[in-house]
Amino acid sequence: MIEIKDLVKVYGDKRAVNGISFTVEDGEVLGFLGPNGAGKSTTMNILTGYLSSTSGSVKVNGFDILENPEEAKKCIGYLPELPPLYMDMTVLEYLNFICDLKKVPKVERKMQLAKILSMVKITDVAERLIGNLSKGYKQRVGIAQALVGNPSILILDEPTVGLDPNQILEIRKLVKGLAKNHTVIISSHILSEIQAMCDRVVIINHGRVAAVDTITDLSKKLSGKSKLLLSFKGPLKEVVNSIRTIPGIIDVKPRMSDDSGIHELEIMLDPTLGSDLRANIFYNMAKGGWPILEFRSLDPTLEEVFLSITSH
Amino acid sequence: MFAVFKREFFSYFKSPVGYIALALFAFISGYQYINMFAYAQANIASEIISMISFFVVFVPIITMGLLSEDKKRGTEILYYTNPVSLFDVVLGKFLAALALFGIMFVNIIIHIIITKSSKGSVGIGVLGASVVFFFVAALYIAIGLFTSSLTDSQIISAILSFVFLLIFQMLATLSTFISNGITSLMTNESSDATSIAAVGEKIANAVKWLDPLAKTQEFRYGVFSVFPLVYCVSLALVFLYLTFRVLEKKRWSQK
Repeated sequence: MIEIKDLVKVYGDKRAVNGISFTVEDGEVLGFLGPNGAGKSTTMNILTGYLSSTSGSVKVNGFDILENPEEAKKCIGYLPELPPLYMDMTVLEYLNFICDLKKVPKVERKMQLAKILSMVKITDVAERLIGNLSKGYKQRVGIAQALVGNPSILILDEPTVGLDPNQILEIRKLVKGLAKNHTVIISSHILSEIQAMCDRVVIINHGRVAAVDTITDLSKKLSGKSKLLLSFKGPLKEVVNSIRTIPGIIDVKPRMSDDSGIHELEIMLDPTLGSDLRANIFYNMAKGGWPILEFRSLDPTLEEVFLSITSH
Repeated sequence: MFAVFKREFFSYFKSPVGYIALALFAFISGYQYINMFAYAQANIASEIISMISFFVVFVPIITMGLLSEDKKRGTEILYYTNPVSLFDVVLGKFLAALALFGIMFVNIIIHIIITKSSKGSVGIGVLGASVVFFFVAALYIAIGLFTSSLTDSQIISAILSFVFLLIFQMLATLSTFISNGITSLMTNESSDATSIAAVGEKIANAVKWLDPLAKTQEFRYGVFSVFPLVYCVSLALVFLYLTFRVLEKKRWSQK
């Protein structure tokens, strides 16, 4: 568990981080978002002990990063934006060096490294020089170094930046696998990536926390209501009236109609209801014999949420 | 600390740096030794002391990348975010460079063995000169490590340490230069000149006092004293501490 309280970092007369507080629970995958210069990297650097905060506190599994830095750092595996790799070492030499730094006992080392190598799929390049590896493999070695010492918390700063689409999918799959038994904080500019991997997001803007919530709840909060789009073939008036009878539906507005009798409706749901009305709508349409052609949520995407929050 | 030491020491042999330093040292010391041997004057103590004057070249080569490369490649983050103290990092890197000087010294040991087998003895002065060799190397490496912490460019680090070491190397000359200036003032008998000369004399003495080589002059004759060694170690510790502070400061002020 990570507890960040009133974190402030001042550079000269600029407050890069201005009173950030949030908590990351055990086993959670948290997305860390923010425009460039919002204080994201500074916060991550403070979390990992690379920087010291001007005021405020960071507790990692109960250990204060400034008062008990060694204990706190043992709980964290960090992959910075630029993986800290020694190009003149082989993968195995490098990971052994990281084991030395993290004080992994010699008896556990061989087994732990074999497990990590196979987990991040770099066993076949273990004896090769890091400098000769492709960017995707280098990124994997970076993730491998973060896993050394079996830390319970992983902090990954832009883990897929600069990779090709196949490599991105592979790294994403890998992180998802790691998330099963680690607490993970991921910073990324690729919002679909955050949407695919994270339980919750923290959006930082101008050094402050602009929002902390699940992506779904953020969308709902932003739109005020939950919206659905329904495209169907059938009589417009009759369908609208029929849907309006379902409890929890606030409003139904026609969006578009064409000559072939295909209509689109915007259905506004009561956000306080908490239950899913999609099944009710489906049965209602089925009862009337009106075929559904498209049915999807109109909640703002993470991109829209992000833009709306950070443009203020 | 051992992890950093191991990584830095072996990295010398994964790039040309270690080999160039070793080859250069072997060549210069070998050339001197052959010359002395040819004139039947194999004085190993003199050879060792004269090799110290080349430290001004060797130390920048060996220390230039120790911290600047980490800064440039972004690998320094490993030392800040892992459970290792920054002073251990500084000490590990310092000892790795000193160990390379240990390997260089193998050349001298070979010369000692050859001389001993041909002449029968090498004299106690060799031990004294060897002690000076390592203590001055330690001091100079600490200075080189410090300059390496100031920049992310190996070249700038090398130039800075070269300038620093050159000043150290020239302290004796500088002191003589000041003394000579004073002597010329003494010929002018005005009271002002006398008081300026008195101050100048004190400065000249202070400069001379700082010179680690002048302090260890007598070691080569087998005359040992503790003070010069304490001086070298203290000054080396000061530079190691300054290096540590530079790294520590980064945590507070980097952008």
